[in-house]
Amino acid sequence: MQTLEAMNVFVEETGGWVASQLEACTRCGMCAEACHFYQGTGNPEYAPVWKLELLRRAYEQRFTLTGKFKLLLGIDKRISDEDLDHWSEINYYACTVCNKCSMVCPMGIDLGPLLHGVRAGLAAAGKVPDDLMVAVNKQIEEGSPLGMTSEVWDSRLEWVADDWDVVIPRDVKGADTLVVFSSIEVMKFPSNIAAIAKILNKAGENWTVSSKAREVVNFGFYEGSEEHTKLFLQRVLDGAKELGVKRIVVTECGHAYDALRWLAGNLIPEANDFEITHITGVLGELVGSGRIKVKPGFFDENDSGTITFHDACKIQRRGGYIKEPREVLNILAPKSFKEMTPNREEAICCGGGGGVIAIKAADPMRYAAFELKIEQVNKVGATTVTMSCSNCRLQFTDGVEHFNLDWKITGLAQMVADAMED
Amino acid sequence: MNWNAFLEFVRGPLFQVSLLVFVAGMLYRLVRVLMLGWSRDNVPSKGSKGGGVVKSFLKSILIWPFIPWVKRTFSKNPVIYLAGGLFHLALLVVLILGTAHMLVWKSLLGFGWATLPLPMVDWMAAVGIAAMVALLIHRLVNPVMRLISGPSEWANWTLVFLPMVSGYMLTHHMFFRYEVLFSIHMLVVDILLIWIPLSRISHFIFYFFARTIHGVEFGKRAVNP
Amino acid sequence: MPEETVHQYLQKQGVSRRDFLKICGALVGALGLTRMPPFDESGLPGNLKHTSVKPIDMVRHALETKPRLPVIWLEFQDCAGCSEALTRSHSPTLVNLVLNSITVEYHETLSAAAGFQVEEAKQAAMKKYAGQYILVVEGSIPEGDGYCTIGGKSALDLLKEAAAGAAAIIATGNCASFGGIPKAKPNPTNAKGVWEIITDKPIVNIPGCPAIPEAFTGTLANFLIFGSLPELDGLRRPKTFYGNTIHDRCLRRPFYEAGKFAESFDDEGARQGWCLYKLGCKGPTTYNACATIKWDAGLSFPVQSGHPCLGCSEPNFWDGGGFYQGQSAPLNRPAVTVVGAAAAAGIVAGAAMGAANQSQKKSAARKSKKQKDA
Repeated sequence: MQTLEAMNVFVEETGGWVASQLEACTRCGMCAEACHFYQGTGNPEYAPVWKLELLRRAYEQRFTLTGKFKLLLGIDKRISDEDLDHWSEINYYACTVCNKCSMVCPMGIDLGPLLHGVRAGLAAAGKVPDDLMVAVNKQIEEGSPLGMTSEVWDSRLEWVADDWDVVIPRDVKGADTLVVFSSIEVMKFPSNIAAIAKILNKAGENWTVSSKAREVVNFGFYEGSEEHTKLFLQRVLDGAKELGVKRIVVTECGHAYDALRWLAGNLIPEANDFEITHITGVLGELVGSGRIKVKPGFFDENDSGTITFHDACKIQRRGGYIKEPREVLNILAPKSFKEMTPNREEAICCGGGGGVIAIKAADPMRYAAFELKIEQVNKVGATTVTMSCSNCRLQFTDGVEHFNLDWKITGLAQMVADAMED
Repeated sequence: MNWNAFLEFVRGPLFQVSLLVFVAGMLYRLVRVLMLGWSRDNVPSKGSKGGGVVKSFLKSILIWPFIPWVKRTFSKNPVIYLAGGLFHLALLVVLILGTAHMLVWKSLLGFGWATLPLPMVDWMAAVGIAAMVALLIHRLVNPVMRLISGPSEWANWTLVFLPMVSGYMLTHHMFFRYEVLFSIHMLVVDILLIWIPLSRISHFIFYFFARTIHGVEFGKRAVNP
Repeated sequence: MPEETVHQYLQKQGVSRRDFLKICGALVGALGLTRMPPFDESGLPGNLKHTSVKPIDMVRHALETKPRLPVIWLEFQDCAGCSEALTRSHSPTLVNLVLNSITVEYHETLSAAAGFQVEEAKQAAMKKYAGQYILVVEGSIPEGDGYCTIGGKSALDLLKEAAAGAAAIIATGNCASFGGIPKAKPNPTNAKGVWEIITDKPIVNIPGCPAIPEAFTGTLANFLIFGSLPELDGLRRPKTFYGNTIHDRCLRRPFYEAGKFAESFDDEGARQGWCLYKLGCKGPTTYNACATIKWDAGLSFPVQSGHPCLGCSEPNFWDGGGFYQGQSAPLNRPAVTVVGAAAAAGIVAGAAMGAANQSQKKSAARKSKKQKDA
């Protein structure tokens, strides 16, 4: 029965866009070479093409004569419950939908959205890892996977405003910009909230946060359920509408930006009424134009060693904010900033995105993938790693602890705020 | 075995049938995919979709076998890049820039073009054959390839390899009389023509879809594809 | 009374011993032997077995002991070109020499007499030399009724009648070998080569349009010297003369290898003598001796004179795709209408499948909507 649920979704979502790409695959296996989970563990089942196999088989069996023929002759079998269980594991435990595979496919197949398509079917069949579903349900009920209810949010913001002595405008009707934080920042990296508030206030931005739209993280997106993805997006849009803003700024979170900027407009038309941007872009603009003044070479001074930048999959490779971090870091730390290799759109994923970090059973894979990052950072000899995504920051922080490393992990907004001239 | 009569058959009626099956089959697959529907993208772009498409195709054709940044990323498997790229280059040189095949196109299309000297084409053909062997070994040995390869993949390799080898032997008059080699070459080419619409070799058509989509997806995000 | 030997005949013609030996040497050349055959096949007497024997010894012995070869020469659907080529010989040439060792008892075109008298002469010769004469056939034989008759008899009957008493049959020219031009589409006469009709006699094909005279006479010489036909290939052509393709021995081959082709008949490449592959030369797939023996006593051959090889010693050369179509091109391509029909069939089938898939999608959407509303 569950199989039919999955098949139904696969059939519904397979249009020309999906089908022409599934048809283009030549089984060359190149995508595996790009996948950090395969590289880290050596498990061939983590090859992205294999993760997609469920969707491809569904397409072949339902939409092609070859597929029907193969079923008839017993060359292929109908997709079973066991298949769903197995593919759930390889898709949710060992994929962050980082899209690096898309970059190396000789055919140019855009695997990211296709992998989301697999998750959609699995979600409809209820084959989502428990840990992840718990988080999804929490977001449905409490507004945030980390349980950041209205009350918790309120008190956290009060505390940040107080402790860091910043003004955080709340629910200001008629403001230009709505800033939506992620609960990861609010709950785990509260200094980031203060940093961003400080920067925006100094720049004279007419901004606000919204209690309705208090959570930018979208666990429905990780789950793959279109219904839940839309639900969480709608909350953000409702907050924006209520306050009458023109622009929505997503703070340091990756997948949230991906969902809001590139998906929302096709799911919920009113999303296109707003300009949607990422804080990295705002930072680049503010620093570059001189609207906020920073001390050049601020991070070179205290001789803190090499600083390197980790490109976040959804902000750099899938977001396009590639030059802004470099511009900023070349001002803040012209001597200490060194790029790791590969970087920019070719960067290796941290291993914690896509919901992976929320799934306990996926820890071994996640740490195996992280070892690739360790190798990169060590090769460039960095002792500080900075980034523009707080989920990456969570993964790096956890990784540093797990592997007993002595790196400093920070964020771009934090660095800008620290270097700001008063 | 009357090889002359057989040659006339595989060059004549069988070739015609194979060509017709190829045309009908490819169009069937194309229309079947196109008719699954396409939705509009209503989200505003950050960068240029068209520019992304151009860059995507250029990357694929011009730079693919030699991508330096790819080498940096995947020091694991440079052979597959070289072998795959050289195989396709050999295909291009032999099938388009080789005189013998150009004359085939000329008879089908009505016009021909300038071609390369035989030693160059011959050398590329040998390189292509060597690349195919390397690709086969890779598919047999690499754990990912073993997982994702089925009967269809082995058939693809065989039916592409046989025309290459028989063509090479034909050019060099190796071991057998020309009518034997020419017959075998035409026979396996005919079988290949019929197999293409039934297999993943038809990727040469869907390549254009995927590559364009790739260019659009990256171009609209203002990222180099 | 024993028949006079060839040697005796030549002596009667006034040929000296010295000249006779020269003739024997020249005939060795005509045979086109690539190596000395085993002693037992050489025709020499046993007492010479362990002495050193040379090809000239074989020829001399044969001419000194054997009578001239009787030949009956029939023509059917032909142009007489093969006969013409043979008679275009200047003296003294190899061709002439061999013709001195045979007696042509009957020749369709060249016999001096005509009418029922020459027909009677033919019958007499066939009876006198039954089992010994060489039957030479020029021209194709129509299987259809009434297309070729001589003296009221059909070509088919004439052939069968003559073949019955022949020691061996030489089919000269592409027509007698493979059907030739009469066989070209639409082949109204249902033209056939000799070997498709006669199956119980040794037959050798000397194809070409016309056949190279030296190939014909070399084969005759072989029969004269050894009493048997030379080694033949799968199409019954003597390997000596048909063992290599034109391409293998062509003087323009280096240009082929270097990729220097004439693009048209009067361009610079053509004037420089470049390869004619792009102009449709069938050299690579044509077995014949044109590139080595050439025509007109070694004067030239088509490619040397600037025209691509037509492949005239191969079966169905006339329908082989066109003289100016590349050798590698397919013999024929489907008509545009047929291709159009195939394309249409593919599109229609694809559309049908596409429609079925679309309806599947729609019902899936309905199902999921129902679930959501529920």
